Amino acid sequence: MRKKTTRKRSSRFRLFRIVFVAGFLLTLTLIFLVSTLGTQKFSAMHKLMLEAVGPLQKMVAFTSSSVKDFTEEYLNVFQDSLRLREENKRLLVQLQENEALLNKSREAMATNASFRRLLGFRDRLSQPVVAATVIGKDPSVWFRSIIIDQGSNSGLVKGNPVVNSEGIVGQIFTTSPNYSKVLLAIAPSSAIDVLLQKSRVRGILKGTGTLTYRLEYILKTVEVEEGDYVVTAGYGGVFPTGLPVGVVSKVIKKPRGMFHEIEVTPAVDYQTLEYLLVIEQQDISELQQMEPF
Amino acid sequence: MMVGYYVLIGVFLVLIQTTVCMPTPVWLFAPDFYYILVAYLAFRVDLLRSLLVLLPLGCILDVLSGTVVGMYSFLCLFGYFSIRVVAGHLPINESLYRIPLVAVSFLAVSLCFFFLLRFFETGEQVVWSWWQMIVRVLLVIIFTYPLFLGFDLVR
Repeated sequence: MRKKTTRKRSSRFRLFRIVFVAGFLLTLTLIFLVSTLGTQKFSAMHKLMLEAVGPLQKMVAFTSSSVKDFTEEYLNVFQDSLRLREENKRLLVQLQENEALLNKSREAMATNASFRRLLGFRDRLSQPVVAATVIGKDPSVWFRSIIIDQGSNSGLVKGNPVVNSEGIVGQIFTTSPNYSKVLLAIAPSSAIDVLLQKSRVRGILKGTGTLTYRLEYILKTVEVEEGDYVVTAGYGGVFPTGLPVGVVSKVIKKPRGMFHEIEVTPAVDYQTLEYLLVIEQQDISELQQMEPF
Repeated sequence: MMVGYYVLIGVFLVLIQTTVCMPTPVWLFAPDFYYILVAYLAFRVDLLRSLLVLLPLGCILDVLSGTVVGMYSFLCLFGYFSIRVVAGHLPINESLYRIPLVAVSFLAVSLCFFFLLRFFETGEQVVWSWWQMIVRVLLVIIFTYPLFLGFDLVR
């Protein structure tokens, strides 16, 4: 019973304390509010609060500003790099396209120049010609022949001379309806009647399998000098007369024998054979029947 | 079916050799792929099928190369039978160990080819050049093993 009375008293005291503290705080608040609203001035408490919060606010503001600056800066850099990468890709593609275009136009110009030379050469020839392109080359060490894309359907027959704008290339060795094999003049089995342009002396030009010819059957009594031009003789009617063949590059004078040993550098650049002209000769088949080669 | 594949491969190899591998008409470094196919047939394929491949191969070579018709067919058959005879007496059957045999047979066949050429075309100024032949033999050596592996895949 006594215990119950003590508990009741304690509970009342607690209630009283709460009401008292609440009332006190409320009163203080009212006083603070009234005084603040009334005077409209920063009280000491306000100043204290501002001083306490100010550094924090400063720090947050600085951090926020820094973060903003950082993100702006680096985001811009990132965006810029993405943009630059795209730009770079686009420019690279454009560059490649332009380079391809440039190469095409260079190739077209070179081909055009080659065709012009060939056309000019064709205009100088009196016989009809067939234009052909080299499509294959003989890979063996000993034979020197090429395959061209014109054959008997274009009127080509065995023995037709093959030339380009620089001079004699060889002659048709065999034909099929649309393709032909050309025996190059540098082939070891090739032999062409030629003249030394200056002295008008006739000789036989033989291939060596390399990028030089050998001029045979020129008598030692004949004056031959390095740099003398060699042209086709036109005997036998296979090659037209006066087509450039090469230039004498070496004259070996041996004490024995009747003939000079002469090395001739081809007029034709065999390394760059691409477009050729085949000279059509109507009477070549009759010639073949007369003297097979 | 296998014969057809090998004929197609032979044609392809000859075309590659006469176009891509020959930038100029006097280019030396064109590997003789066809001879590697001939050697492979001698090592791995029976006689009948080999002949069915060799005949068109020799014919194509005669068309695209050389001035003595039939010379390449002879060369292919000669190379084939010489390798086949020697390979029959070899104790080892691995591709890698057969490369020297292919190289030596190529050199021997080339030498034979050279003498035949001198015999048939007496007017020609064909000369035997050891350094040129060594280059060609080296090219055959380099390409034999990878091509043998490729041919094995077809089988």
